[in-house]
Amino acid sequence: MTNLIRVEIFKLVQSKTLWLLIIIITGLSTLLHSLVITDWWQLSGTEFDRAQLSELNALSAFTLPLLFSFIVSALAGFHVSTEFSQSGVIKNQIISGHHIAYIYMAKYLVFSLGSIIVTILIPLLTAIILVLLFGHGDLINLSNFTYLGRAFSLFTLQFLCFTAVVLWIAIGTGDSGQTIIFTLLLSIIMFIIEKFLTYPVIQLLYENSFFYQFSEVFHYSMTTGEILKSIVIAIISLIVILSGGMFVFNRKEIK
Amino acid sequence: MMNEYILRTNKLSKKYKNHFALKDIDITIRKGEIYGFIGLNGAGKSTMLRLVTGLTFPTSGSIELFGNDNPKYLRSAQKRIGAIIENPALFSNMTATENLEVQRLQKGVPGKECIYQTLELVDLKETGKKKVKDFSLGMKQRLGLGMALLSDPEFLILDEPTNGLDPMGIVELRRLIKKLNREKGLTVLISSHILSELHQLATSFCIIHDGKRLEELSSEELDEKCRQHLRIKVDRPALGATVLENTLATNDFEVMPDGSIKLYAYLEDVVTVSRALTNNGLVIQHLSQNGDSLEGYFSMLIGGGEHD
Repeated sequence: MTNLIRVEIFKLVQSKTLWLLIIIITGLSTLLHSLVITDWWQLSGTEFDRAQLSELNALSAFTLPLLFSFIVSALAGFHVSTEFSQSGVIKNQIISGHHIAYIYMAKYLVFSLGSIIVTILIPLLTAIILVLLFGHGDLINLSNFTYLGRAFSLFTLQFLCFTAVVLWIAIGTGDSGQTIIFTLLLSIIMFIIEKFLTYPVIQLLYENSFFYQFSEVFHYSMTTGEILKSIVIAIISLIVILSGGMFVFNRKEIK
Repeated sequence: MMNEYILRTNKLSKKYKNHFALKDIDITIRKGEIYGFIGLNGAGKSTMLRLVTGLTFPTSGSIELFGNDNPKYLRSAQKRIGAIIENPALFSNMTATENLEVQRLQKGVPGKECIYQTLELVDLKETGKKKVKDFSLGMKQRLGLGMALLSDPEFLILDEPTNGLDPMGIVELRRLIKKLNREKGLTVLISSHILSELHQLATSFCIIHDGKRLEELSSEELDEKCRQHLRIKVDRPALGATVLENTLATNDFEVMPDGSIKLYAYLEDVVTVSRALTNNGLVIQHLSQNGDSLEGYFSMLIGGGEHD
């Protein structure tokens, strides 16, 4: 398993897609945060606003599934799916004799790590650096730090469920284009369910899904019960999705 | 030849929808053999190799690797295999060294010396920072071979390894495989459409056609089958065989699947053979003196018609 993780890290570091995404997201994040902090872009009504952290309002853009699904699906499509189609290097990994579940888990862990760096860490770090550079260092206090720590920890937990779904799509389709399309479709469907479908059963299911938690975890005040619910939803979803993904991978015939 | 089995399959079948890509295949590869796998395109060669390497799953039958057919053991047994299936699977945006590094980490080989040794072995040490996407087909093939050999496997599986190699490359590959086989006792399963190439390399052969095994034989047996003979085609092969037995008093012949007869006697006396057949009312459709190449024998076996 350690060897497999080292292989995945080696491949990720060599991946042009990862570096391109890092550059794009760093640039985009710097631009959006600068616009918000200098009041060029007056964004309001976000959870960060309610937490008296309006300088960090641009972060809300990076927590939208419709936006981060672009980033994650691009990484999955060009880093994971191509191994099954274009280069066919997945054959070498299967022939290497490692257990399929270990190969899957190594891919999942490293792909999720790359996704977290690009989607969560870079926007957050850019925000903190720019807040300090623009002279709002007073925002970095224990209370705000606790809020951001709790919100982003829970968000990362839900995000791990999302990367598990995207990996499943990437391995299932084995095609970068289809991976991107199906991931975006999934986010659009979830958006439609959230905004337009009011059937009680669907709403109940949606409200107990990790997709719903993406916004819930940024509420300034959360009860212990709500935090526990969020954690339980993420863990159960993760177990179900990873098991399903492994099942699919285990039965996938490599072309 | 040692009698330790590296690979044995028992009634191995693979079905895609309504079509059997392989049907009840039994093969046996002993330690130290160079096993040539022969078949036309679509005969099932790659399917067989993919089953052995775990890239696809059998519909029925079993695979025994290194003396163990427990499916749970198979995966770890595959660690002792090096393989190129169809095309070498390489990262095109990486250099040869980086590709070998991925393989080294994957196989858990300690130390980086093996990378430089492998680059030298497959004559790619001068490629430096050149990306694989800029390699020629032959260089890619050599790198694929290097990746298969990196972990010092006990069993090497090569699917059409001479694709893209120039004549010198083919000679080098043959020399390398023979050297590894001789010096390290490496067992090799090799499929190739260049049958003459395989004839010079393999110590055993398996001929498959339409997913079925037609014959499994040693190189000595093959040489015996490819020896000089008269090839006779008559309108009634069964009667032809009887005439050879009764009139010419010989059993040194074979009736082939396409109905032709290979007669290993009377090589210098074609007239006697011809007269014996016609005197018994047979119509001779073809009569020629042949010494089969592997191609000729293969063609005859699959019923491919005329050959010389």
